Amino acid sequence: MSRRIIILILLFTATLIASFTATIILNPATPSELKGLAKYYVLNTINETASPEAVTAIVWDYRGLDTIYETLVLYLAIVGGLAMFKMSEEALLKTRIGLTLLSKTSTKIVALLIASIAAAIVFHGHLSPGGGFPGGSAVAVASMIIIPVFAAGTLIEKGVSSTKLVAIRGAALTALGLVALLPVVKGLEIVTNQRFYPASILGLPISGSLSLYNLFESLAVASGFTAIALYLSIPEEAHKGGSGA
Amino acid sequence: MLEAFTYILIIAVLGLNALVSIYGIVYGRSLVKKLISLTILSDTVLVAVIFAGFYYAYPIVPPVYQDLAGAGREFLVKHASDPLPQALVLTGIVIGLAVNALIAFGIIQAYRLAKTTDARKVVEVLSGVEVTE
Repeated sequence: MSRRIIILILLFTATLIASFTATIILNPATPSELKGLAKYYVLNTINETASPEAVTAIVWDYRGLDTIYETLVLYLAIVGGLAMFKMSEEALLKTRIGLTLLSKTSTKIVALLIASIAAAIVFHGHLSPGGGFPGGSAVAVASMIIIPVFAAGTLIEKGVSSTKLVAIRGAALTALGLVALLPVVKGLEIVTNQRFYPASILGLPISGSLSLYNLFESLAVASGFTAIALYLSIPEEAHKGGSGA
Repeated sequence: MLEAFTYILIIAVLGLNALVSIYGIVYGRSLVKKLISLTILSDTVLVAVIFAGFYYAYPIVPPVYQDLAGAGREFLVKHASDPLPQALVLTGIVIGLAVNALIAFGIIQAYRLAKTTDARKVVEVLSGVEVTE
């Protein structure tokens, strides 16, 4: 054990000394201005995508097709994980005792706060920092504190099942694909934004398809991670007594 | 001089971090510790991607226009942080989380079948072949 600590300290000092000598010998010029590609994005985002937020414009417009395939990877990873578990919900129904009334009440308040902040992140995602991925993750955080406090069995009795969550996820993904495919009807490229979708509706800036993508992506991410949290909340004792792996 | 030193120091620390986490992935005994090392490695890579878009400027602002007319364009080009690595890392974090969850499901299933998370023993129990070092 002590040998490991000595090796770690040696590595740290070696890193420090190496970077110090490299600075003295090489004395490299540090970058002091934005790179060319980033300059293009920052300059043109508001004209080409109607979104004042460059990051969302890159995620869903300039590199929209990449992001849609990444969403597909996310979907496959979650479905693969759930398929590997293959649990019946009988084992989950055994975990019905939650925490005390005090923690249940405070969790209700905190979860509501988190959910409203997540909604703000999602619906403002095309105007301010945020978007579908962080907003959906914030909703998932709310569900991750709800599940242990209220116990998974109670939630399943109330009608929250992983099958339903995966169905929501599939529906959101289908809507996302439709938003991407719809411009093809008019002979435009797939994932077209400004030439097909309007920049604002009734004076409300929606940045074309960007706000729709954010909404559906947050639904997909939130339901997927909630399903994962529901499955991972099964205690080992309940699993052993249940239907088995 | 100080700017160059911090610049090189961050690169060196990222390299050290990657080294330690790769050591953990290769030599770690427990599958859970391998997973923890994998998350450290992926976070190191994400920080490296963010660092690729780094430049010295003051003040630094997010790449967001303050109004829809596009005012303040010159200020933004000189002071905005690079949006491209942020966009890549944003999706990378979520994908990494999903893939980590997939690996965690696999580890839990292996633990239920083999009653251990030691990588060599899991292979021994599941395949019946003895693993020699």
